[in-house]
Amino acid sequence: MRGYVLRRSLLAVLQCLMVLVAVFALGSLLPGDTADVLRGEHGTPAQVAALRTQLGLDEPAWARFWHWLGGLCAGDLGNSLMTGTPVAEDLGRRIGVTALLGVPALVLVTALAPLLGTVSGLREGSRLDRALNSAAVLLHAVPEFVLGLLLVAAVSLAAGLLPATAVGMDTAALLAQPAVLVLPVSVLTARHLCDLTRQVRVGVAAGRHGTVATHLRLLGMRERTVVLRHVLPGALGPAVQQYARCVEGMLGGAVLVEAVFGLRGLGSGFVEAVQNRDLPQVQAYALLFAGVTVAVNLAADLAAYRLAPRREVTA
Amino acid sequence: MTVRWRTGAAGGERGRRPSWTALALFGVPVLAAVLGPWWGPSGPWTEGALPSQPPGAEHPLGTDVLGRDMLWLVLHGGASVLGGVLGALLIGMAGGVPLGLLAAGPRRGLDEAVMRALDLLLALPGLLVLMVLAVSGHRDWYWLVTAAGSLQVPAIARVVRGAVLAPGTRTVVEALRMQGHGWAYIHLRYLPRELAAPLATDTGSRFAVVLYLLASANFLGLGLPAASPDWAVLIERNSDALFTQPAAVLVPAGLLTALCVGGNLLVDHVLARQRSTR
Repeated sequence: MRGYVLRRSLLAVLQCLMVLVAVFALGSLLPGDTADVLRGEHGTPAQVAALRTQLGLDEPAWARFWHWLGGLCAGDLGNSLMTGTPVAEDLGRRIGVTALLGVPALVLVTALAPLLGTVSGLREGSRLDRALNSAAVLLHAVPEFVLGLLLVAAVSLAAGLLPATAVGMDTAALLAQPAVLVLPVSVLTARHLCDLTRQVRVGVAAGRHGTVATHLRLLGMRERTVVLRHVLPGALGPAVQQYARCVEGMLGGAVLVEAVFGLRGLGSGFVEAVQNRDLPQVQAYALLFAGVTVAVNLAADLAAYRLAPRREVTA
Repeated sequence: MTVRWRTGAAGGERGRRPSWTALALFGVPVLAAVLGPWWGPSGPWTEGALPSQPPGAEHPLGTDVLGRDMLWLVLHGGASVLGGVLGALLIGMAGGVPLGLLAAGPRRGLDEAVMRALDLLLALPGLLVLMVLAVSGHRDWYWLVTAAGSLQVPAIARVVRGAVLAPGTRTVVEALRMQGHGWAYIHLRYLPRELAAPLATDTGSRFAVVLYLLASANFLGLGLPAASPDWAVLIERNSDALFTQPAAVLVPAGLLTALCVGGNLLVDHVLARQRSTR
């Protein structure tokens, strides 16, 4: 166990390092540096050179990397090139909206996937089982923006039921009108719920007919105990890794869902930063997204190893 | 990402039946993409066409936000969708197959080095890479396709390595080598035949992953220019006019969905048949 934890954690550390170097190197990929951008077209070469010295841009790359890293550790993400406000402030304002999307979606997936997966795994070929199978095949890999627009067309346009967009609403306004969130959260949840349910269902169906379950039944254990204590935990091991993929997928999904519904969360902030080529903001978003991905995958792999130690766990 | 769902008698029964729904769902967008560019007038512009008009006699699918003929756009927009996905899959295989073979080779140190290096790349979410690429000024279509393809390399290399190191294959390779067959015979004649089936199945399920990635990037405006007739770009351009001209969003969205679902059903069908014959 300890050897695996060490090796897997080392990989995560290396992944973090790679992300940090890549995000820092992004700055040097751009034509012109921050001083050019800040001075705009009106700066004289002397002014730009002075600003470059002031910002420390004439130092060697490793020294700038070190300073940048030091700033990150102190929570300084730099200032936006467009607005001049600290990037951290912008992130703080937007994180509430994304949390309002992501937390309900994660709660729904966490609660429903084991439940639906167990029920349909215990009743293979039943109506629920077939319905879930069809939904999974339908929703698998259909991009969230397509699904979102089709839902808006069906629910808001044809049936006139729920609001179609949430343009310009901040966290407080969204909390006051939760109906706005129903469609975005459904779009974000649907695909991952199906994928995860499928994973649990396969494990439960296989475990139920396995030799361990048969043996426990012969010993006189109640069916309920066999399923809840022995079959379900066995099925959750592989599902934990799928769960990590689902958190990772939801980050990307949030970008698309926020674009479709006009929500001002982290995802749309990232898209705006990319369109404005606002480097400090892009770096902050990229670090946030990649950092969450690395952390979630590490946690899932360790949990999966703990649940089923002999399984060869893929990083 | 594979669909492992059907078990028992139901799976076998369904696996044998030719899946006409899947073929139709997959075939319609593919035909539109392949044959569409050969059809119709040379451009989407007509004299005096108004923007966002609902379907009528002159424009069977109406017009888009710029007043272009929707039918022409939809027929010409599939080529970039399909071409991008196929190009990215080819790039992924061109990188993944040699690396997988290299990792499965006799040298253990090389195997560790290649697989650990690829593990590092797995840390990057696909959409994030494409967004960062757009910031660095690489906004052209071929950059997008290359990046989407490169992101598939670790997974494809893993599949290839796994297939070559499968117990049956490994034994045969050892026997061939002892019989005096050279590197070329093993790598160019025996292994391709053994790799074809697992690689084809993996490519089938990877099709949906790459389609998702490229369509999302184009929807976010990271790749193709805003005037492109690509289905994802059309959806983005017309989504504001969803309530006045729904056809301009729903037709390309329907075609993209049909492509995803049809492809997925076909892969599912093939997997179910493989299992039932095994």
